[in-house]
Amino acid sequence: MAHLRRAVEEIEARSGLAETRASSRLSLTRALDRMLGGGLAGDALHEITPATPSDGAAAMGFALGLAARFMKERSAAGLILAEDFAARDMGALHGPGLVAHGLELSRLVFVRAPDARSLFQAMEEALKSGAPAVVVGEVWRLKSYDLAVSRRLNLAARTGGAPALLVQASAYGAADRISSAAETRFEIAAAPSAHGASASGGRGLPGRPAFAARLVKSRLGSGQGPPVGLDTARTIRLTWRSEDKQFDEPAISLSLVAASGDGPRAARASH
Amino acid sequence: MKNARRLVGVDINATRLGLSVGLSLADARARHPALIAIDADPAAEAKLLERLADSCARYTPLVALDGRDGLMLDVSGVAHLFGGEEGLVEEIEARFARQGFTLALGLADNPRGAWALARYARHRIVPAGFSGKPFAKLFHEMPVAALGIEAAVAADMARAGLRRIGDLAMRPRAPIAARFGADVIARLDALHGLARDAISPRFAAPDFSAERRFASPIAHVDALMATLAKLADDLVVLLERREKGARFVELSLYRVDGDVRRIRVGAGRPLNEARAIARLFAERLAGGAEDEIDAGFGIDLMRLSCLVAEPLAPSQSEFERAFEAERAAKLADLLDRLSARLGPSRVTRQTLVDAHLPEQAVVAAPAVKGEMRARGEGLDIYAAREAPSRPLRLFEWPEPIETLAEIPDGPPLRFRWRRVLHEVAAIEGPERIAAPWWRHAGAPTRDYFRAEDATGRRYWLYREGLYGRETMRAKWFLHGVFA
Repeated sequence: MAHLRRAVEEIEARSGLAETRASSRLSLTRALDRMLGGGLAGDALHEITPATPSDGAAAMGFALGLAARFMKERSAAGLILAEDFAARDMGALHGPGLVAHGLELSRLVFVRAPDARSLFQAMEEALKSGAPAVVVGEVWRLKSYDLAVSRRLNLAARTGGAPALLVQASAYGAADRISSAAETRFEIAAAPSAHGASASGGRGLPGRPAFAARLVKSRLGSGQGPPVGLDTARTIRLTWRSEDKQFDEPAISLSLVAASGDGPRAARASH
Repeated sequence: MKNARRLVGVDINATRLGLSVGLSLADARARHPALIAIDADPAAEAKLLERLADSCARYTPLVALDGRDGLMLDVSGVAHLFGGEEGLVEEIEARFARQGFTLALGLADNPRGAWALARYARHRIVPAGFSGKPFAKLFHEMPVAALGIEAAVAADMARAGLRRIGDLAMRPRAPIAARFGADVIARLDALHGLARDAISPRFAAPDFSAERRFASPIAHVDALMATLAKLADDLVVLLERREKGARFVELSLYRVDGDVRRIRVGAGRPLNEARAIARLFAERLAGGAEDEIDAGFGIDLMRLSCLVAEPLAPSQSEFERAFEAERAAKLADLLDRLSARLGPSRVTRQTLVDAHLPEQAVVAAPAVKGEMRARGEGLDIYAAREAPSRPLRLFEWPEPIETLAEIPDGPPLRFRWRRVLHEVAAIEGPERIAAPWWRHAGAPTRDYFRAEDATGRRYWLYREGLYGRETMRAKWFLHGVFA
C-alpha cells in the first residue's frame, strides 16, 4: 500500500500536479497548524468523523466552524449538502442555531440529496464550479464512498480552489480504518465546556462549544511520508468562539478531568 | 452708556437724516420720533448672508463670507463671461437690487483692495491701467480704517497723527510694526498686492462643471430634465479629456429669487456616460426628492458639477468587483443546475422570521427564486453570545425523554434519551416559549433548558406544560443538540 502510494505521488510530482497547488492555507490554532504543516489546505478534501455515535453534532459543529472561517476569509457563499437520512436521524440543521454558531445565514445554500451517490455528485460539481467558498457535505451511508470517489472530490476541490469538508456521521470510531484520498481526517468528540457560574450556586451553565479533536491523517501536500510531528494519538482540545469565528486551545487546567480520561492512546494501550 | 440700545444698521433714508451706526436708540428717537426700529437678529442675518453667498456661486465657485455683512468673491478669469468687470458689477448690483438689497461693491486686484474700495471709496472698480505705484496711491487718501484694523488701533494711530493710509505707507515700517503690531504692515502689504492674501471659499471649486443659463426662467420638470441631459453631455466631454469618471455629482439649481437647491448623487464606479449620470438624477428625483427642487419663481441657472472624479483606468478594486460578480454568476449557474437535477425544493436558502416557536423561526425558500431578501438579517437575537442560545440541529419531532429531577418542576439531574442515561453536569434555563395563544388555544407552554452531560454533549431539552397549572405530570422532550 505504502509502495503504491509513493508511486502515485511520484507520478503526481512528475506531472507537476503537486507544484501547482495554491498555498491558501487556513490557520487554525498553533498546535493544529504545526501538525497540518501551516494550516488547513483551502483546496482539498478533509474528512471529519465523530468519535462516538453521540458526537455527530460535535463533528458537524467543528466542520461548520471551519466553514464559517473559510466563508469569512473568502467572503463568498457556502454550500451545505446533506443526505436525507442524516437529517432524519440527527435532526436538521437549525437556522437560528447556525447564526448562533457564527454563520451568515444569507450566504448559505442548503442542498438535500436523496442518497450518498447524488450527494457526492453534487459536491463534485459545486467544488468544480469555483463559486462557493466552502462545500460541506454530510453523508450517512458510506457504502459508495471509496478511494475513487474521494480522489475525484479531492481533484474537484483543487480545480475549483475550494475546500470540501465531508462529515461522515456514521463512521464513528472508524477514523483510523478509513482509506481515502482525503488530505486530512479529523476525529471529533464533544468535550465538556468551560462552565459559567450559576446564580443559584448549583450546577454551572454550559459554555462555548468545546471539542476534543484528533488529527488522524495529514498528507501535508508534499507527500513525503507521514509528516514530522503528527501524533495520531494526540487529542487537542478546542473551543469555538463564534463571534470571532476562531478556534481556541484552552489552557490545560480547564480540562483536567477529560484530559486524563482520554489520555494519550499509547499510555492506555500499555495497560 | 454701555447698556444702551444702539443702532447697528441704518438704511439710506436714515443716513440722509444724519443717523449713523453706533448712535444710541434713545438719542435717535429724540431726534426723529417717527423712527422705525427693529431688533437686530444676528443669527438670522448670518443665515441670510450665507444664502446670499450661495446664490453668488452663480458668478464664481470661490465665494467666501467676509465678516458679518460682507461677501468676498474671487472673480479671476470670470469677468469676461459677463461682459467685462463693469458688466459683472452691474449684473450683481441689479440682481441684488431686485431682491431689495443695496450693495457697496469694490473690485480690485487683491481682496484687501476690493474690501477698501467697497467700504471707503467712490469708484467701485480700479480703473484700467492702474497697477504698481498708481494703484497703491489710489488708497493713500483713504482713512486707516480702510485697512480693516480694529477701531482701537485706528484711534491710537489718529492720536499719533496717522489718519490716512498714505501717512503709514510713507513712514518706516519697523517703528509702525513695533507700535501698532505686525498685522498693520501685513495688511498694508496685502493692500499693495505685495503679499498674497487668499480668501477661504465656502465650497471648494469642483474640478469639472457644466452650466446653462436661461434668458427666461424655467419651472417645468421636463425642461429641467432635458437641460440635465445636455449638461451631462457637456460634463462627460470635460471628464473624457482627463480620462476620468464621476463618482460624486452635484446639480445646483439657482432660482430667480436667489435661492439655491443642491441635489447630490453618488455612483459606485466612476461614470463617464451622460445617460448614466442623467438616470441617477432621474431616479433620485423620482424617489421623492421632487420637492427638493421646488422651482419657486423659476430657475435661471443650472449647474452640474463633478465633485469627485476618479481615473477610469481599471483599479484593483474594480478587478475585485468583477471577480465577485463572476463568482456570483457562477453560483447562480451552479444552483440552477443542482435545482434542475435534484428538484427546486432540495436546493434552498433559509431566512429567519420573527416567530417564537423554534420550529417556525426559519423559512426555507428555493434558491432558484433569486437572492434571498435580507428580511431576517435584522433578527440578530440569536447572534453570537458567550454560548449559543439555539441548537445546531433541531429534531422535526421532539423526542420524549425520561427525566429525574430533585423537585417536580426543577431542572433534571439526569435523563434517558435513546436508551442512554445522561448525567447533567451543567444546565441553563428555563427559557419559556409559549405558542401564540391567538392561534393555538390551549397549547402547552414549553420551558427550555440547555443541558450538558458529564461527557460534554450539549442538548436542548424542554418540559411541556406549566407544572401545577397546565399539567400535574409534566412531559420532557429533547428538541435539539448543540455542537
